[in-house]
Amino acid sequence: MAEALVAEDVRKRYGDAVAVDGVSFSVAEGEVFGLVGPNGAGKTTLVRSLTGTTPCDGEIRVLGASPPALDPNRVGLLPQSFRPADRLTARELVRYYAGLYDEPRDPDAVIADVGVTDAADQWYENLSGGQRRRVCVGAALVNDPDVLFLDEPTTGIDPAGRRALWDLFSDLAAGGTSIFLTSHSMGEVERLADRVGLLRDGELVAVGDPDALVAEYGGESRLVVETGGAGADALADGYESELVDGELVVYDVAAENIGDVVRALETAGVTFDSFTWTEPDLEDVYLRLTGETLDDFDADARAGGAR
Amino acid sequence: MSRIRRIRAEFAAALRSFLRRKTAVFFTFFFPVLIILIFGAVVQTQSVGGGLFAEPPAYYVPGYLAVVVVFTPLSRVGSTIARHRDGNRFERLAVTPLRRWEWLLSHTAVNVVIIGLSSLLLFALVLLVTGATVVVSPALLVLVPLVAAAVALFCGVGAVLGRVADSQDGVIAASNTVALPVWMLSETFVPPSMLPSWFRPVVAASPLTYFSRGVRALTAGGDWAGDFLVVVVAAAVVFAVGASVIPRTD
Repeated sequence: MAEALVAEDVRKRYGDAVAVDGVSFSVAEGEVFGLVGPNGAGKTTLVRSLTGTTPCDGEIRVLGASPPALDPNRVGLLPQSFRPADRLTARELVRYYAGLYDEPRDPDAVIADVGVTDAADQWYENLSGGQRRRVCVGAALVNDPDVLFLDEPTTGIDPAGRRALWDLFSDLAAGGTSIFLTSHSMGEVERLADRVGLLRDGELVAVGDPDALVAEYGGESRLVVETGGAGADALADGYESELVDGELVVYDVAAENIGDVVRALETAGVTFDSFTWTEPDLEDVYLRLTGETLDDFDADARAGGAR
Repeated sequence: MSRIRRIRAEFAAALRSFLRRKTAVFFTFFFPVLIILIFGAVVQTQSVGGGLFAEPPAYYVPGYLAVVVVFTPLSRVGSTIARHRDGNRFERLAVTPLRRWEWLLSHTAVNVVIIGLSSLLLFALVLLVTGATVVVSPALLVLVPLVAAAVALFCGVGAVLGRVADSQDGVIAASNTVALPVWMLSETFVPPSMLPSWFRPVVAASPLTYFSRGVRALTAGGDWAGDFLVVVVAAAVVFAVGASVIPRTD
C-alpha cells in the first residue's frame, strides 16, 4: 500500500527547548495512525510540523509533496483548541469552509455526517461543547481530504457522539482517507488506529499496531484475588504471585487458566471474596513507555477530554 | 473563479460575524457621529477666532472622515487577527487554498463596506451640522476609491498590529496609540502652519496627510490626482506588508 505521509528525522526546537526530537514514521493510504503521549510531549507541534504550519527540520512528504507544495484541497486539519467564529450557525460555518475549496462536499451532508442536523441553524456559541466539536470536525472533512489530521478530535464530546465520530472516521479510512490523529483517549486509539505511536519528550518511543505494542510492552495479565492477606504460598510452581495490600496478585494467567488457579486456592484451603482478571492494554503500554503514573495519566486525560 | 469564491466566502462570513455583534455595529457608527457632534458642533460654536478650529468648516471634512478611515480598520483588523489566533483559526486556514492576501482582501472589503456606509453618514452629518460646503462635481465620486484605498492602507497597518500585539487588549491599546497621533497630525485638524517646522517632515511622511489633501481637493474642486496616487501606492505597499505578516501558528 502506498505511503500517504512520510516523516523522517523531524525536529523542532523552541529556543533551547526541544519539542520534537528526530521523529520518523509513515502512514499508508487508508491507514489510521494514532499518536499518544503526555501533555507537552510534542503532539501538537508534530501535527503543525506535518501540516507545514510551523517550520521544522527533517523531511516530510504528504501525498508525495512537501507540506508547502501540497495541494491544500487534499488535506484536512482539525487543530487542537480550535474555535471558529462564534456568531455563525453550524450550517454557515461548514458552508464557509466549503467555500474555501475547489470541489467541496455538500455542506448539509457533512452536517448530517457529524450529527448536528438538528442544531444546524443555531449560532456556534449556543451549541453544546460536544456539538461545537462535531461542527469543527465537519469543517475539517468538508473538502473530502485524502489525508486528515485530527488533533484530539473528540475532546469534550459525549460517549454517544464520540462513537458516532469514531464510526465516521472508520468509514473515511475504509474509503481510502489516511488519518493521523492525536488523542489522550486510549479507548479511542485502540478502537480507531491501525498503528499507534507513543511520543515522550518529543521522541517517538514506540510505533506499532496496538496488539503488538501490548504484547511487547504491556506486561503480564493479572489475577487479583481478595483473600484478606492469605494464600501467599498457596499456589504451586508455574504461577508467580505476591500479596499486595492484602490481595493475592497472580501474574501471567491466561483466561483459560483462571479456573486452575481458583481450584488450586480452594485445594489449599484459601477462602476469597472475589477475583478480578485484567489483561494488559494500551494504557499499560502508555504508562510504561511514557514513564507517567496513573495519577498523571488521569490528569492528562481530564485535560484532554473524557477517556 | 475559485479565488473569487474563496474571497466571497471569507467576506460573507466576516460581514455576518460583524453584523451580528450589535454593540460593535452601534459604536462603529456612533463613535464618528460623537466626534462630529463634539468637534463640529460644540467646540466650533465656542471658537474664539484663533488656534484650533479657526479654519473654515470644510477644512475639517477630511478629519471627520479620517475618524472612521483610521480607527475602524486598525482596531477591527487587529482584533480580528488576535481573535483568529486565539482560536487557532489561522492554523486551520493555513491548510486551505485561501491565501493570506485573500484573507486580508476579504476583511478589507468588509471594512470598505462598513466604512463606506459610515463615511456617507458622516459626510451628510458634517454638511448638516458644521455648515461645511463642498463643490459638487463628477470628481467627487473619486472619494469612493480614495476612501477604499485609505481603508486598505490602514487594514494593512491593522494586520501588522494584530501580528505584533499578543492579545485583543494589546491590539486595542496599540491601535489607539498609532491612530490618535496619525489622525490628529496629518493635516486633518491641525493646519501645518500651527506645527513647528521640524515636525513637518513627519506630517509629510504620514499617508493620511495625502488622504486629507485629496479629500480637501475633491470637495473644494482642486487638483487631487497626485495625492490620490500617493494614497493608492502607499495602500498597495502597506497592504502587501500586512498580508505577509498574517500569522499561521508561530
